[in-house]
Amino acid sequence: MLRFLQERVNKSTKDFDARPEAERAATRPESDALAGKQARVQDLMRRLAAKLGNESAPEGGR
Amino acid sequence: MNALAASLRAVGGALAFAAGALAQPPQEPKPPAPKATAAPAAQGQDPKPAGPATPLPPVPPMAVQNPFLPFDRARFEAACRALGATEAQLGRFGAEAADVGLARAADDLMRAVSPALAAACKRRDDGDPEAAVALAQVLADAKEPALRAHARYHLARLFVDGDEPELAIRALNDYFAQDLNVSPLDGEAAFFYAQALADVPMPEHALPRFQAFLQWFPDASERFRAAAQQRLGELQRQQESRLHELADGMQRTTRDLRKQRTGKPVQVDQEGYLEQLNQLIEEFEQRESQSSGAPSGNQPSANPANQSQLPDGESNVGELNKRPTLADRWGDMKDADREKIAAKLQKGLPPQYQKMLEEYYKKLGKAGPRK
Repeated sequence: MLRFLQERVNKSTKDFDARPEAERAATRPESDALAGKQARVQDLMRRLAAKLGNESAPEGGR
Repeated sequence: MNALAASLRAVGGALAFAAGALAQPPQEPKPPAPKATAAPAAQGQDPKPAGPATPLPPVPPMAVQNPFLPFDRARFEAACRALGATEAQLGRFGAEAADVGLARAADDLMRAVSPALAAACKRRDDGDPEAAVALAQVLADAKEPALRAHARYHLARLFVDGDEPELAIRALNDYFAQDLNVSPLDGEAAFFYAQALADVPMPEHALPRFQAFLQWFPDASERFRAAAQQRLGELQRQQESRLHELADGMQRTTRDLRKQRTGKPVQVDQEGYLEQLNQLIEEFEQRESQSSGAPSGNQPSANPANQSQLPDGESNVGELNKRPTLADRWGDMKDADREKIAAKLQKGLPPQYQKMLEEYYKKLGKAGPRK
């Protein structure tokens, strides 16, 4: 699910970036929504990490 | 500009909290990696060729001695007298310090003796986009180190509040290099430095600085100490997790997207997240298949696809830009007013702050207004 969500955000980012500069500047709600989608994936990732951390699942260190 | 950047880095390198020293310093963090990708490339994989989506600010290494001296009240009061403080104002400072703490009382006194600082802070509190340039002008005009410290602190706070932690770090690098030990704001400056590092996020730098803040400022406001304890706990729990590292990168990308930075570097980071997710899924699947071969066979699944089906909850997204932001106000301003601020930027500011504020207003312009 996370991968699917991230794929969608990636595609939306590319689509947004492909628009002309003037059009992008005029679509602030869309870039807010895009940031919101990325934040959602980030939030889910944090929850998953916390959940796995609580279960002491082995993970690679950094 | 290269010379400017070099001098900024050189100043940064001389710092201490930025600079902070611990009696028993935590592990020295690695220098900030010149990349914005969330996680290091897996072994055997080539790193991505693109540069960082958001350039990370220079963060000087931790020192091993506490650079903060006990607050020299007599020196501070002498500085305020030099700025024109009356005995009555100094008396109020003494009384107020007992009630609200030295830092707040000192800041109130500084605002009382410097109408320009008071006006600039009021602009900031009112969400006026001109606040940054007004604070920078106070900073540029200040001859007295204590006044400079307060102006720089408020400029950094403006950047922190405006979701510009990289600029806050740069301003506080200057604070620690030039304004240390002249005001009781040092503790708060140390706290916000750590917070800005956590906000970027640069957790490997934020963590030891939150520890240093807690160790060196036992008398800091409980509000700051509690917040530092909380952030420290979060960072420590996240420290050993690749998933949190991935989330850190996504947090940076979220900030980029909010500012309409959607170019190639951001897209490369996003592709990196997918690669990392694929790797993690593969690893979990391998573990799953290994554990399913065991005789018991009824252990709870560690399959990430299942784990990610978490109940919906409050995400940070809901909090984004509910109120009119500085960017909104900037966008709503008349062109003439914006041009007025741009003109002020060109007059009398130190070159590094001129550059910093140009960057700040450029980002404000990209971020707003909402239609």
